[in-house]
Amino acid sequence: MKRFIHHEELARDSRFVRQDNAQSTVLATLPDDVDTIVNAFEQFSDMIEGSVKGTAAEPLFESYGPGFALTILNEPIDPDAPAGLTRLLLRMHGIFVGEVQALEGAARSLWDFPDAPWEFKMNMARQAWDEGRHVQIFEKLLNHLGGEVGMFPESTFLFECACSKDPAMRVAGVNRALEGLACDVFRDMIKYAIKTGDERMQQAVDYVLADELTHVRFGSEWVREFTKDDPEYLKRTQEYRRKVDKQFSFGGARSAREDAAIPIAWDDRLEAGFTEEELEDLAELSGSGPSKKTLVAAANILRERHFAKRAAKAEAQGTEAQS
Amino acid sequence: MSEQRMYPGMSPEEKTTFAPYSAFDIPADLRELTGRYDVEAMARRCRNFRYAEEWMMMMLGGWVATIPELPVKTGLGKIIWECAQAADVLGNRLPELRCGVRAVAASQSANEGFAALIQSISEPERPDLTIEKLTGPFDVLMPHLVDVYELTMRETDQICDAPTIELLEDIVRKHRRHISWGQEVLDRLCDTDALRERRRVRAAQISSELVESGGVTGTLASERGALN
Repeated sequence: MKRFIHHEELARDSRFVRQDNAQSTVLATLPDDVDTIVNAFEQFSDMIEGSVKGTAAEPLFESYGPGFALTILNEPIDPDAPAGLTRLLLRMHGIFVGEVQALEGAARSLWDFPDAPWEFKMNMARQAWDEGRHVQIFEKLLNHLGGEVGMFPESTFLFECACSKDPAMRVAGVNRALEGLACDVFRDMIKYAIKTGDERMQQAVDYVLADELTHVRFGSEWVREFTKDDPEYLKRTQEYRRKVDKQFSFGGARSAREDAAIPIAWDDRLEAGFTEEELEDLAELSGSGPSKKTLVAAANILRERHFAKRAAKAEAQGTEAQS
Repeated sequence: MSEQRMYPGMSPEEKTTFAPYSAFDIPADLRELTGRYDVEAMARRCRNFRYAEEWMMMMLGGWVATIPELPVKTGLGKIIWECAQAADVLGNRLPELRCGVRAVAASQSANEGFAALIQSISEPERPDLTIEKLTGPFDVLMPHLVDVYELTMRETDQICDAPTIELLEDIVRKHRRHISWGQEVLDRLCDTDALRERRRVRAAQISSELVESGGVTGTLASERGALN
């Protein structure tokens, strides 16, 4: 078995639908400019439509056009909002596939770094078990909400971005950036569960959040250990983590901004070993994407153009049928 | 044998008695101070066992990403952690066997043949090879380890080496559960004659390499009688 695999090699059963990572890449690098955002999404419109075809995201595409992710990502999950359940399921499914990739990332670290210190292997083995349980937990929560595995396409962007071939960068990317993001998302999900009185979801996600703090701690400790006595290496590792953090801020949807859909879980992150300085840095870099106002404006334009295209297509089909 | 006594405060008519116990009433320990392995030999065995457990953990970890069946991915997560714990307790035993405090992470293959066997078991890579992947550890390697661990527990000094017996008992209990899980998965995956044949061929190949290597301790030939 070779060391290091490409994200496209991640194996899935027939229920899963794979989505090209290009859309996630674009989303991660958008500037605060309506026209640029509209052009970027229009360019990928056919690909996005193809990737959601036959999945539960197809109605979202029909309702919002290729920018549906902008609408979903940039508004807090609200049970009373239109398509509230579909949007909740989309987020839950995203967490579920994220856990699958986290399981693969942690387990793969055991094979990819055979000469790593024993304690590192113990931590990664423990994380593999935890992530395996998280996959089971989120599959059950998905079912609890009426959803199922494979109802939305899966992007392997998480594995692609975080699974570096360098062990310090691997733990910086997976354990600090992505597990840190998980802290933010899960704290938000717990708030949602409290709001809707869903005690099952609240308790399950609370346990998962406790595990994630441990995984972030693993990351904090191993970055320190791998880079000790090498400030240059530490700097490169921190830069790598910042890059992953930026990619997973979804253009500012996860940030400390007032309009953020997913606020930074400041207290949880402090408990997990992030410093105030690191969190202030995260707040700055995640908040530097397009504003919510820009994204909503872009989403509206994309939606109008989508409806115009659909109308033109229907008209052309009608003319063809008449002739 | 001590005399039967009445419970205090009860009248003789009730005739309720109890047998007093003390250190003198405990049956004599008839075990003898004898065992097949001395300290050095047991330390070598622990390093050999640790090698197998560590590599099993690593190869299962490598496969999680390339196995498509979701319940297999999640099931392996727990087995990976339990193999890691097995390797860890075996390592922790080494300083107690006079190998020095730095020996806790010492794994050692019994010989080149066993190291080559591990590489051979970990070879399958493609997503359509789940049967070949799981057959090596669950049909061949883990049952072999359980056999050798049980033999070791029986033959080592029951009093002097009791700490090794204790830790192996726990590892065997968990590996029995792993084997049963793995074989159930394989039974379900191999639902045609052609798939069952793939499993049989793979198991035969790995078993043959295992015997040739002498197994985890490199002494399989001399222990085969005891291994039934």
